[in-house]
Parts: sequence; structure tokens; C-alpha cells
Amino acid sequence: MYAAPAAVFVLLLFVVPLLLVGQMSASEWPLLQGSRGINLPDNYAGIADDRLFWPAVGFTLKYTLIVVVVLLVLAMGMALLVQERRRGVGFLRTAYFLPVSLGLASASLLFWGFYSPQIGPIDPLLEWLGITDEPIRWIGTPNMALFSSIVLVVWKFAGFFMLILMVGLQSIPNEVYEAARVDGASKVQSFFRITLPLLRPSIALCLIISITGSLLAFDQFFILTNGGPDNSTTTVVMMIYREAFRRFDLGSAAALSVVVLLVLLIINIAQFRYLRRGADE
Amino acid sequence: MRRSTRTRATTAVTAAVLALVMSACGGDDDTGTTGGDDDGGSSPEALAEGVDDGSTITMWTRAATEPQSQRLVDAYNASHENQVELTVIPTDDYLPRVGTAAGAGELPDVLSLDVVFVPQFTTAGAYLDITDRIDALPFADDLAQSHIEVGTLDDAKHVVPHTMDLSVLFYNKSLYEQAGLDPEAPPTTLQEFAEHARAIDALGGDVSGTFFGGNCGGCYVFTWWPSIWAAGADVMNEDGTESFLAEPEAQAVYDVWKGLVEDDIVAPGTQDEAGPTWTGVFPEGNIGIMPMPSTTLGLMPDTFETGVAPIPGVDGGESTFVGGDAVGISSNSEIPDAAWNFIAWTLGDEAQVEVVAQNRDVVARTDLASNEYSDQDPRLVTINEVAGVGRTPYSLRFGETFNDPQGPWLPLVRNYVFGDGTTLEQDNEAVDASLQS
Amino acid sequence: MRLQQVIGRTSFWVFGGGLAIMFLVPLIWTAVASVSPHGATAQQEGYGFNNYRTLTEYDAGLPTYLWNSAYVSILTVVFTLGLSLLGGYAFARFRFPGRDALFLLIIAILMVPYATLLVPLWVLLGELGMRNSLFGLALVLTLYQLPFSMFMMRISFEAVPREIEESALVDGCGTFGVLRRVLVFAVWPGMITVGLFAFLHAWNDFIAPLFMINDSSRYPLSLAIATLRQQTMGAVDFGATQAGVVIMALPCLLLFVLLQRHYVRGFMSGALKG
Repeated sequence: MYAAPAAVFVLLLFVVPLLLVGQMSASEWPLLQGSRGINLPDNYAGIADDRLFWPAVGFTLKYTLIVVVVLLVLAMGMALLVQERRRGVGFLRTAYFLPVSLGLASASLLFWGFYSPQIGPIDPLLEWLGITDEPIRWIGTPNMALFSSIVLVVWKFAGFFMLILMVGLQSIPNEVYEAARVDGASKVQSFFRITLPLLRPSIALCLIISITGSLLAFDQFFILTNGGPDNSTTTVVMMIYREAFRRFDLGSAAALSVVVLLVLLIINIAQFRYLRRGADE
Repeated sequence: MRRSTRTRATTAVTAAVLALVMSACGGDDDTGTTGGDDDGGSSPEALAEGVDDGSTITMWTRAATEPQSQRLVDAYNASHENQVELTVIPTDDYLPRVGTAAGAGELPDVLSLDVVFVPQFTTAGAYLDITDRIDALPFADDLAQSHIEVGTLDDAKHVVPHTMDLSVLFYNKSLYEQAGLDPEAPPTTLQEFAEHARAIDALGGDVSGTFFGGNCGGCYVFTWWPSIWAAGADVMNEDGTESFLAEPEAQAVYDVWKGLVEDDIVAPGTQDEAGPTWTGVFPEGNIGIMPMPSTTLGLMPDTFETGVAPIPGVDGGESTFVGGDAVGISSNSEIPDAAWNFIAWTLGDEAQVEVVAQNRDVVARTDLASNEYSDQDPRLVTINEVAGVGRTPYSLRFGETFNDPQGPWLPLVRNYVFGDGTTLEQDNEAVDASLQS
Repeated sequence: MRLQQVIGRTSFWVFGGGLAIMFLVPLIWTAVASVSPHGATAQQEGYGFNNYRTLTEYDAGLPTYLWNSAYVSILTVVFTLGLSLLGGYAFARFRFPGRDALFLLIIAILMVPYATLLVPLWVLLGELGMRNSLFGLALVLTLYQLPFSMFMMRISFEAVPREIEESALVDGCGTFGVLRRVLVFAVWPGMITVGLFAFLHAWNDFIAPLFMINDSSRYPLSLAIATLRQQTMGAVDFGATQAGVVIMALPCLLLFVLLQRHYVRGFMSGALKG
């Protein structure tokens, strides 16, 4: 009964639009003119033919893999660092966490300026130190563009994941560690034997959020790299955006969205299973 | 939801047909009663002037041209019963916003649009046929034709120029003097342009010969194509379905620029400039000469003197890309006569001289190319005159092919200029494929 | 032992402090850059607030945009809290048909790209007569906040020991009475967390208002700044951009620091039992 408002809300604002997306994906549907009737399966069949598609899939996967690993390892380190009661821990937590409060678009704009040759602070600094007088091409080469985007995303989200992991860490009873120490386990050993397994639910939650978020990455690339240089940072969602709003083809944009949704559902259901199993153990 | 569904004639869209289509679809907009007046017995004067009856006219524009539109709207509102309500939309997000509204038939009365996207919208029936209204204007023959031509579909005209933005060469006269060049003798061929750039680059320090948006498809189109046109060549066939961008005339233009890139005559950051800041480099005073949008002339600092010259072809000739925004009455408008009253007024002598020319913008009428404001600044005459020989390219797939960073044009030109250029033919096939999709 | 402690503390500060500096540098830089002189911005010479003046004087004026943003954000917070408080209670405490399906459906909202859903949502809100209204906009923003909120409130309720409500039930409260009189206080930190993130999201988002709002005078701040940024033929004004980032960020940072104790407890109380 208490779920009724949410159910109605989701039905109206999510399920209905989603059904419309489904209809679009099966229709010839130019943005400017509206539906021209069913053309199944043209929109779906056309996806793989797009010269941008496979590179975009490849890049999205590569980006997701790197971001998830870097983000979680760093967040774990930060969580370990700030979980103990110590002087100054409050300051560190706040510092790590502040970027979370910015919007992703704001953060992207901030780094866009930060990396720009016009007002970026790093080039003048390096020049002043006499290290180099060539400006760094932060988003000029494929690898640098990927690197720069990852820096932005890690900066923006590490604090969020740190918080989730920190909470997980603190829910592990101290007695467990005490017992391990009595048995002569070193700190490293107890981290791998006790902390990691007990942290599995938290880690799984982080994985779900970070994997889904990274696979749907858009804002940071839209603002920072525009998918370039030379399409090297074009993600799948950027393709959806291009189909819908640059090629005015809602049908193929919707088809691509449906495929992405299905893939994400499969990935996430698998992860939920894993999370459940972790919690039961 | 199916209300947004429309069956529209894609060809031969006359005002009458449009009115029929509109009433057939209904929607929550009741069919405009004034829609049929076009064919009525109104006198030419009434047709030309529209109606000033205190209507509220809605208009959308992108942020990029807001200052120009806002000035016209303010001046109009101050002197008319009708009131225009201007909504400004972020430049990057203009097409998603306008496209969505067009699909649902909820466009504002007056819709301004980056001129290269006009063909797509006219074909989709987003604009009303205003042939009779345009032709009834007393100065119809003096209107700059490039925008109107791009908005013409099967002899029906849909748009008039609103904000003219031309590509012209800007050069830094103080750097010209320092390099021993004559600041009153700008280049007349692209070869000469390259020589000047090299001479200025030799000054050393922070000074560079030239600059361009090296990772920006729209910038290449805007600044390099005029050199191709100046040589008498074309960039596409008439229907905009076949690319000539791998032809020798085009290659000759790329080669000049490629030479400048290889010898490092271009400013640092050229290759990575994706567009948002490409016009911000010249005003800092360290660039010798580069093609720039004419609309930025008013923004040039007074720390050095800026000279203006037409963009030349490789061996002479001159041309320009007539960009900017075109404006028309949307087919969703219920008050086309009032909307036209505003549009017609923006093209009149008073608005063109006292609003447009006074702010050092390009006038939309050739007969006003020389006016009291341009007389004070000969650079404006240069710009206004080159508008007459300039072009606006036509293609239904323009944006996604040339402007979009994921489009096929950007790799073509980048591979040629920054790479070894061996993929030109193959890249051009991708452009063809995109134009025909 | 002492030496080890000293080394431990030093390395803690070197690592932790170094990392903190790296996290703070971009924020500090943007604040400095927004008042620094630079060609092609409003701040030509010396340090000063000219970029902010550009911002405050833009079109309908900063107060209007701030008010619109605050209104939409607060409405979004209210909607989100209402839905997720009731929904979280239901998911945590009751078995009802379709429970798992509904929960999965809510989580699935995360998996649909923003760009995809906007056009259908826009059409739908038009049907409901809620286009161009801040109310409709808040509904859309609430939608995207729902997965996180529902998850959060569910684990918050699950973390509350059942004994607490059982004693209240025995005392004659209905389930709603229990929620109102007892549980709300137990899940308070969770609600603060949910409310805060809903606020941040609504405050910062500019894509939804871009589609939903027609009148410049009803733009929220985020959209006004996006518009302002690209004037003059699409050339971007660096100064106004960074000033915009700062103005957008300030209320968020402030709320964040003020509420820090609460939202940390919000996460804690859930303890993420999965």
C-alpha cells in the first residue's frame, strides 16, 4: 500500500515513456516529423552497420574497465585511510567528499577550463618550474583524452564510493580483527582474508553503480572531448545522442537505447545475484 | 501521443496545403484563422507589412546570436503594439530543443535557425511558405540571397536572413608592421596569405603566423570553403548529395594550410581546438592573420588595429561563407501576419541601419551595404560587399556530415592536414555516404 | 614502537594530505580563476568580480534564476522524500505482489540513458499539461533520483530493529502511526542523505529544464548559465563559465558541509546489508 505512490509515479513517468521508446525503436520516426509507421527491424538491423558503433562499444568497455578499477582501488585506499578515528580525519573526509557535491556538468566545465591552454594552471606552472614550455595536450591525443576524462571522473566520484566503502568497513566488528591478530595474521593478511570478503556487499553496490554509470558515460565526454580527437572517445550514449539530435533519427536512437538497456539489465541482474549471495554467506 | 504524428507533404508545400495539414492534425493548437489570409485579397502593402494588432509573438534563438536578436526585439517592442517574447536556448542544445518541438508541432511563431540547418526544417514542413510576403517587400530584390536560396524548396521561399555572419580574414596591423609587411595590403591570394603568415611567424616569441579550429568541422567549413569557391569550384553538387571535397581545387586549399601546419606557422593548440574558443585566440594579439567570423569585429580589443580582407582563393578571387541565422514563420504559428510584421520590420531601413549596422553587424540588404555607420569604418564596407559574392552551402545532411564532431568531414580534413593524406578518397566516400543517407 | 608510530602518522599525513590537496586544487583553482584577469572575459585587468557581474546582470537577473532553482530543487526534495519514505517502508517491511518487480523497475531507471527518455517524457508532460512548468520539471528530476533514494530508504528501514515498531504496534498504533511516530525518527539520517542528493541533482541538472521549460524567465540557474556561456557566436567565455561553476557549487558545498554529520550517519545506519 505504501508503495502505491511510487508505483503510480514509476508507471506514469517511466513505464509509459519506456513503452513509447519501444514503439519508436520499431518505427521510422524522424525527430522533426514524428512517426511514419512501423519499419521493424530496420532500426535494429542498422545499428551494427554504423561505422561508429563498434569503436564506440570498444571504447565504452575500455573506459568502464579502467574507471571502475581505478575508482574502486582509490576509494578503498581512501576509505581505509579515513575510517579510523584520528585527528584530522574529518578534514580529509570533507576534502575527498567535496567534489561529489558538484554536478557532473559543472565538474566537466571546471576541468575543461583546467585543461585549456588559455586559462589552465598546469602549463604555466610547469613552464615556471622550467620543466617544459610546450603546452600539454590534455585532450589532444586519444590516450591523453582518455586519461584526462578519467582524472575528472575519479575526482568527482571517488568520495562517493569512499563513503559507501567506509560504511561497510565500519560495520565489520572489531572482534574479528582482534581474533585474527591473536592468531598472528599480519595487517595485509587480515585485509585480504577478512576485510575484503566481509566487504563484498558494499563492493558489489559500488560495482553496480560505477559500471552502470560508466557504461552510460556521456556528460564528461560531451563537454570535455566532444568524442574526439578523431572519434577516439565516442561512447555508446554519445552515439544515441547523435542519432537522435544530430541525425534527427529517433527510431535508431531508440533502438540503440533498447539494446543498451537490455545489456545493462543482464549485467545488473547478474550482479544482484552476486550481491545476494555475498550477503547470505 | 500519436497526436504528434503528421503526414506532411515533403514537396510542394504551399501555405494552403500547410493550413490543411495543420487543421487535419489539430493538436491543442487550434488552427490559426489567419493562416488562409495569404491567398485572400490583401493588398501588396498589407501583405508586405503584416499586422501590428498587439499580438504576443514568441520567438526562439540560440545563445550564440542572442545579442543581435535581442537588440532587434527590443527596438521592435518599443515601437509596436505587437510584443515579441524571445527565448534564448544554449547553442549546443538548440537543435535537440527545436527538433523536439518541431516533431510535436509546438514551435514558436518565429523560429531562427543556423542557416545550414534550414533545408532539413523546410523539408520537414516546419516553416511556412512566405514567398508572396517576401516578394511584396519593396526591397525584395536587394535582400542578400544566399539565406533565402537555402530556404527555398521547389520555388517556395521560407526564410529571410536574420543575423549575417561572414567569414573574412582578420589581420593584426601592428604585427604586419613589425614583420615589414604593408598593413594596407592584405593578401589577395591564398599563397600570399601563407607568405604573410610565415613572415609574421618569423617574428618569434609568442607570435604565430595563423590559427584555425583544427578539431572543429564547422570551423573548417566556414573558413576554408570560401577559398574553394573563390577558385570557381564547388564543394558539393547542387542537391548537396555528392561531395567534391577530394577534387584538385579542394586539395590545393588543404595543401596551403598543410604547409603552414608542417612548418609550425600555426599557433600552439591549433590541432586540438574543438570550436568553443577558436575565435578567442586572435584578439589576444599574437596571431598575424586568420579567417574569422565577421560578427566578432565589434569584440576586437583596441590594443592593436585589426584589418579586414576577403578570403582569397589559392590563386586569387574571393568569397565568403554566408553563415549566421535565418528566420521564418513556423508552420505552428497561429498569428503568421503578426509574426511577419516583426520579420519584415527587421529587414526595413530603420532596423537594418539603426540597429544592425550601428552595432557593426552585417546588413541583410545589398542596397544598404554602404550606410552612415559603415562610412565611418571602411572594414564594414569590405564585409558588406563580400556578402554579395558569398555562398551558403545546401544539403539536407549538412549538420551531421560537416558540423558534428562524429561526422565524416572532420576525419577527412584532419587526416589530410595533420596526417599523411593517403585516405582522402576513402574519407570522401564516407562523406558521400553521409550526404546520401 | 614509538618510531613506528611516528612513521605511521607521517605517512598518513603525507598520503592523506597529499590526496586531499589534489582533491581541493581544482576547486580552489576555479574560485581563483573566476576572479583572475584574462582577455576575452569581463575581467580584463587585475583581480575582481566582473565575471560575476556578467552573471548577475544576465537577462532576467540572478535572483529570478536562483529562486527558480531553489523552488525546483525543494519541490524535487519533497517529492523524492515522500515517495521514497513510503516506498522504502513498504519494500523493507511488507510483502506484496510485484514487490521485486517494482524494485527492479525502479533500479532500471538508472539504466536508461537520459537522452533517450527526454523526448517521450516531454511528449507525456505535454499531454498532462505540465510542460513549461517548474512543477512538471520537478517530477522529471524526481524520476531520476528515485533509484538511489529508494535503495537508500529501503536499507535504512531494514536496519531498524523490528522490536522498536513491534512495541509500538502493541501500544495500538497502526502501521502508519508507527511510521509517523517512531520510524521517521529512526530513518532520519537516511532521509537527510536522500534529500541532500535530490537537492544536488535538481540544482545541478540543466538537461531536463532545457527540454521542459520554454520561458527564459522560468529558467533555473543551471540552464541560464549554460545559455550565458555560449554567447557571441558560440565562443565560450571562460570567466563567466568558471564564475558559473562557483555560483552553482557554493550552495551545494555549503549544504554538504552543514549536513555532513547527518548523511554520514545516513549511510552508516543502512550499513548496506545488501
